[in-house]
Amino acid sequence: MSTSAKRQLPLWEMALVVAILAAGAWSSTLSPYYLSVDQLFGSTRAFIIPGLLALGLAVVVSLGEIDISLASIIAVGTVALSKLSAAGVPFAVAAPIVVAIGALCGAFNGLLVAKWRLPSLAVTLGTMGAFRGLAFIAGSEVGYTDFDDVYLWLGSDYVFGGVVPVSLILFALAAAGVWFLMHRTGYGRRCFSIGLNPDAAWFAGVDVVGVKIRAYALAGALAGAAALVWVGQYGSARGDNADGSILFVVTAVVLGGMDINGGRGTLSGVVLALFLLGTIRNGLGLANVGGPTQTVVLGGLLVAGVLRPAAAAAIARLSRPAKTREARAQGE
Amino acid sequence: MKMKLLATLGAAVLAVGLAAGPALAQQKTSGFKLMMTPKWTGFPYFELTGEGAKAAATELGDTLIYAGADHAEVSLQVETLQNFVTQKPDGIILAAIDGNAVAPVLKQARAKGIVVGTYDADAAVAGRDMFVNQLSYEQAARVMLDAALIDAPEGGEIAFIAASPTSPNHVAHMKIMTELSKTEAKYKVFSVVDTQYAGDDDAKSYDVAVNLMQAHPKLKVIISSSAVSAPAAARAIEATGHVGKVWATGFALPSAIKRYLENGSQKAFAFWDPWELGYVAAYAVHQKLAGKFDPKEGAVLDVPKAGKFKTFKDAEVVYGKPLIFTKETVGKYNF
Amino acid sequence: MSEAPSVAARPGSRNLVEVVLRLREAGVVVFLVVLGLAFGLATDRFLSVQNLTTVASSAAILAIAACAQAIVLITRNLDVSVGSMMGLVAYLTADWAATHPGITPVEVVAIPLMIGTVLGAINGLLVAYGRVPALIATLGTMSLYRGFTYIYAHGQEVTSSRLPPWMLSSVDARIGGLPILILVSIAIVAVVAWLLHAYPFGRRLYAVGSNGVAAWFFGLRAERVVFFAYVACGFLCGIAGLLYAARVGTVTVVLANGWEMSSLASAVIGGVSVSGGSGTVVGAALGAVVLATIDNGLVLLRVPEFWRMFIQGAAIVAAVAVDALIAEAIRRSTGGRRR
Repeated sequence: MSTSAKRQLPLWEMALVVAILAAGAWSSTLSPYYLSVDQLFGSTRAFIIPGLLALGLAVVVSLGEIDISLASIIAVGTVALSKLSAAGVPFAVAAPIVVAIGALCGAFNGLLVAKWRLPSLAVTLGTMGAFRGLAFIAGSEVGYTDFDDVYLWLGSDYVFGGVVPVSLILFALAAAGVWFLMHRTGYGRRCFSIGLNPDAAWFAGVDVVGVKIRAYALAGALAGAAALVWVGQYGSARGDNADGSILFVVTAVVLGGMDINGGRGTLSGVVLALFLLGTIRNGLGLANVGGPTQTVVLGGLLVAGVLRPAAAAAIARLSRPAKTREARAQGE
Repeated sequence: MKMKLLATLGAAVLAVGLAAGPALAQQKTSGFKLMMTPKWTGFPYFELTGEGAKAAATELGDTLIYAGADHAEVSLQVETLQNFVTQKPDGIILAAIDGNAVAPVLKQARAKGIVVGTYDADAAVAGRDMFVNQLSYEQAARVMLDAALIDAPEGGEIAFIAASPTSPNHVAHMKIMTELSKTEAKYKVFSVVDTQYAGDDDAKSYDVAVNLMQAHPKLKVIISSSAVSAPAAARAIEATGHVGKVWATGFALPSAIKRYLENGSQKAFAFWDPWELGYVAAYAVHQKLAGKFDPKEGAVLDVPKAGKFKTFKDAEVVYGKPLIFTKETVGKYNF
Repeated sequence: MSEAPSVAARPGSRNLVEVVLRLREAGVVVFLVVLGLAFGLATDRFLSVQNLTTVASSAAILAIAACAQAIVLITRNLDVSVGSMMGLVAYLTADWAATHPGITPVEVVAIPLMIGTVLGAINGLLVAYGRVPALIATLGTMSLYRGFTYIYAHGQEVTSSRLPPWMLSSVDARIGGLPILILVSIAIVAVVAWLLHAYPFGRRLYAVGSNGVAAWFFGLRAERVVFFAYVACGFLCGIAGLLYAARVGTVTVVLANGWEMSSLASAVIGGVSVSGGSGTVVGAALGAVVLATIDNGLVLLRVPEFWRMFIQGAAIVAAVAVDALIAEAIRRSTGGRRR
């Protein structure tokens, strides 16, 4: 099982690469504005925030858990940053504090899920509302916009000749870091082993509770970083920040080949999936295709993406000799 | 020689009209490429503004593209605007979800010489060239209170349902209505007792209306600036047997409240013509591009088919044609 | 199979499970009573017959949606397309009613039920036979169904004046002073609860949800059970969508947006485990009443909107924590081992 899965995964990533190229080629026929360096780099800005969330969610999903409260943690982060900005705290101090607050929110989820063994979907459904409520309560209704330019740098500035967004570099660093963590360290192996079989991991001496709490904290910290980018991009901190973006994030993680039941998947797949979704949305957007059509395309893509292995399996099952099937039925 | 003359002339004009630089540089009077995005697509009100804008563009020899996400999420709106800017239009028209969050991308657009006009909901002043306001906040507050007076001439307790505490126009309307109910003789019969939020969601509005009637037994009028909440409140009054005791009013499309006016459960609602608002917004942006309209305080925008509209502080062009619908008039409108 | 057999599969412990399930429902009822008393003490408007009727009618439709969600949750799956199914069903039905003036009540009821069933069956096919994880499959159909509603509606909405008047007035009717909506909702939840209790299908739901492998060993075809759970969910969403449309009167493309989360929240508060195999539809319906009570009470107390969000979220976390404590208690009393 595991060997076939291993062989399958690079295949999936190859498929994603092909799909990205196809989508890019298609987009360039849809709109004459698509193929320009400025445009291509600039368009990535829209995907940095969901991208950072997706990296964190991928770690949580590798454990066989889920976190749908991440977008609400962004709201907590932006409101916290607005408080720090209002208090005149320099950005270099405020930024790590916001990331730490994000990590704390995540760790709270992790504590409930790992230590108390509560189902992660239900827990994060609850904290999704609770965190956003907190952000609103703390940030009041009107929001905050008087950010100093230094606060906006991360989300709004460009480097390398004014072409590459700073936030894209942040994302690249985060992606490389999480990739290294998940695929080159013992921690990553422990995550996947817990996702495959928590009992076996526990018997093998893995600190299941600790690994899970740290994964949630990491996801929360990345959401905190996303909050910094949010403030930079939009210059606005309000309780409703990033409301509703979690579905896109889940779509990216799943389309990237992460097994929602845990134990399997790669970070490179997730990043490729983000690029694929980004390319499609960018192309459709430049062609001024309506929102509903985009929704249908993304929904269809998600279903088609996950149906593919099932369809292959079904074909294999049907083409198997009838005898074996009978034998199997008797065994049942 | 001729070139030089032209150049000096151009420079002189530039020096006079400070902000009008990019528009003048082209010297075009028609054939502009306009792009428009509402808060979200698929809502009849915004679709009507889009149709109106398209009609104006066609008449003026411009092209207009109307696009946007299917739900009101600011990051998606910014993405749409970013895509617009990439396509190098001459003008952008939008209804802002979060006026501050769209400001950076709009500033970027303006730096490239694109004329930005907002309608329905404004963006930060630095992000746009003008705001075509359907009704000034005070006008909106007054027309809603006038409609409430038709419902309940004897006055009484009123409560508000707004979309959210973060929607600037709703909040401003409520504030002014509260002020007016304390200061102006005509409106002193009313006393504001409560404010609730329903996020432009019909079921939530319905439940909030019912809960308001429970919370305030002497409640007379429920007022909402939300075109979703006002009809839902009317429905809640009808369904829970409060007809004749409690009234709903505020802004609503005539088609959405026709039933309640015709069956007598409600007396008056207010709105404006969204088609014409879109028409005027596109017209204003076109005129600015063609160098025929400069939205400075006191300037007048002349739209032959719709009227003359005055500009106020911060380039706010007030469309300002409120409509009140009653049983007798509601049939006249086809939106 | 050698370790930690689920309690449901242990012979002799079924009675205990039923007792505990009842206990859990009793727990929700106790919570409701406490909540009611607290609101009642805080404001004298809360505990009036009229206000309690208001709360019940607010909860009525959500209770049906929660019931639909619960059936799927019990099989250890999930349906996040609940809101989109309700929206599509409501729009298609309302549009049909608006464009066919002579439409009969039978058609108005039959059309949404049929559409809902088909939409549910699509989800069921994907999850049960396509073996697509429930979250992903229904996330996809959530977008597809909602997107299709937008495209079909083409920027329009169906306003109350275009619907047959009897469609609206029938949900406003009252029997013995009680709004018919409440009675319909109670009847539906009761029938579903009875069906799940009286027929083997109900037990199979729990068997598949609490331990799919064990169920397979006992000769249960998990695919079929899961498939029909989704069909039932779609059917109930059809009813809920129709009632929603008739209640609010104006049918828009965003109808029931976000109800996937409220139905899930109701079910979880009502003691339905997202890990499958435990909870009841009655509990889920009571969960919807809890949410409506919180909404109503906070409006009566004039608590700002944000607190509602926070309190609702906290209530969900508290509910799952209580469930975990109960599950732990069962494990101890039955000698089951902690995983």
